[in-house]
Amino acid sequence: MELNTKFMKETFFIVMKAIPVTLEITIFTMIISMVLGFALSLKKIGRKKNHLVNFYVSFVRGTPIVLQILFFYSLLPTLLNYILNIVLKLNIKIFDINPIFYALAVFVMNTTAVLSEVFRASLLSIGQGQMEAALAVGLTPWQAMRRIIIPQSLTSALPNICNTTVNVLKSTSLAYMMTVQDIMAVAKKQAAFGYNYIEAYLVVLVWYIILCTVIQLIFRVTEIKVAQYKQGKRVKVLKIQGLRRFSYAGIKERAQVVWR
Amino acid sequence: MLELKNVHKSFGDNEILKGVDLSVNKGDIIVILGPSGSGKTTLLRSINFLERADEGTIDFGDIHTSLVKAGKKDVYRIRKKTGFVFQNYNLFANKTALENITEGLIYAHNYSKDEAREKALKALRLVGLEDRADYYPSQLSGGQQQRVGIARAIAPEPEVVLFDEPTSALDPELVGEVLNVMKDLAKSGITMIVVTHEMSFAESVANEVIFMDGGVVVEKGTPKEIFSRPKDPRTELFLRRIIRKDYDYVI
Ligand SMILES: Nc1ncnc2c1ncn2[C@@H]1O[C@H](COP(=O)(O)OP(=O)(O)O)[C@@H](O)[C@H]1O
Ligand SMILES: [Mg+2]
Repeated sequence: MELNTKFMKETFFIVMKAIPVTLEITIFTMIISMVLGFALSLKKIGRKKNHLVNFYVSFVRGTPIVLQILFFYSLLPTLLNYILNIVLKLNIKIFDINPIFYALAVFVMNTTAVLSEVFRASLLSIGQGQMEAALAVGLTPWQAMRRIIIPQSLTSALPNICNTTVNVLKSTSLAYMMTVQDIMAVAKKQAAFGYNYIEAYLVVLVWYIILCTVIQLIFRVTEIKVAQYKQGKRVKVLKIQGLRRFSYAGIKERAQVVWR
Repeated sequence: MLELKNVHKSFGDNEILKGVDLSVNKGDIIVILGPSGSGKTTLLRSINFLERADEGTIDFGDIHTSLVKAGKKDVYRIRKKTGFVFQNYNLFANKTALENITEGLIYAHNYSKDEAREKALKALRLVGLEDRADYYPSQLSGGQQQRVGIARAIAPEPEVVLFDEPTSALDPELVGEVLNVMKDLAKSGITMIVVTHEMSFAESVANEVIFMDGGVVVEKGTPKEIFSRPKDPRTELFLRRIIRKDYDYVI
């Protein structure tokens, strides 16, 4: 067996042009899901049990994302068409909507559920004491949340947010099923011309490793920056770990994760 | 200046406060004693509405309201007129010592950033930690953290400062530095209500000692009256236990 290296080189750069699509889905999913997930986590730490929230979380947890994608890609356009054009008579060309929006909907739905758990845990880890101290000095509950609780909660959630981002990035490879032209879709299309699937997959594999590694590097640096309030010593340890993660061993580890 | 009447509070079926009265004059140093679980913390927390009492009234300067139904406005006014020092310090972990103090000054008391900084540095100077202004809580010892906690409570010049066992979470060798700060404050004329088992503090600066047990005030009086001539057998028993514990420390 021989690899078509010329094809691989070409494909590498063709695939590169689709990176913005992959990153757009990832970044917008994360931004929207962080807001929704945080709101949801506040609901969760409240006393009242909310059945709707529970149903939503078990739906997302209990169904494969591939099935969700196929299901919503079949359902959403028809449903939107019905609501907007037949009920509301708005005359919008539903079937011209960029499939990226459907992809976003599915990924946001999944990621919000994950992040709501992440934020719930990180909010609980900060404890009631600092909230009470903030109230005692005369802050409003919302000021206390915004100035004291949320910044710490985000900091302690950062490693989990990093993992989630990497997972979302990897899941975007399923968006090709909704005809989104992400790096996976482009690679597949290239492969199909001359049946160079192995080469094409190798190329996307490398791209995913690069993207995941860069994302983790960005998070590492952010973590070190924002965690300065933790002990001086601790920050140093973080730095060393941070470097280790980008050593050869660290990258190998990451490659295995991506491969799986 | 501050008067609480008939404070009741239950958690579930458990009645913790069974009608407590408390009267505080300007400049008073009141020490509250009592066995664990007698409701001392709950009483302090009812004053600044960290806990909502089930019954009772509060008169604080020109505020006269129900502890149960007080509206937001009164609650915030009362919180700004009180400082609270917690057993576990509860410093804001993401803020430096200085920022721990300016936070309330800026966002609750509406001081400008510069004024707040001035006031905060002054408070830090009072507790002897001016040189630690830019340290984060995790970089301070327990005793230093509690002194920042005290500085945070006194910086807005509240009318009364509430202390809930401020030294009981500290290693024995760190208790002294915090007690010294508290004694200095007491002598400077600040009004304080202090829950503590530190007899030396009560003896040297308190003008009233209140003994609580089972959710009621069992007896109160000057330190001398309570320590040398307790009227109630429960007080006597409690004092004997505490003193024996102090004695154990020495050994
Ligand atoms: N939030 C709460 N929920 C249920 N029980 C509580 C709560 N806070 C305090 N208690 C109970 O009230 C009792 C008195 O507590 P506390 O006021 O802390 O006493 P003290 O400070 O004198 O030790 C304790 O038995 C405690 O278990
Ligand atoms: Mg207590």
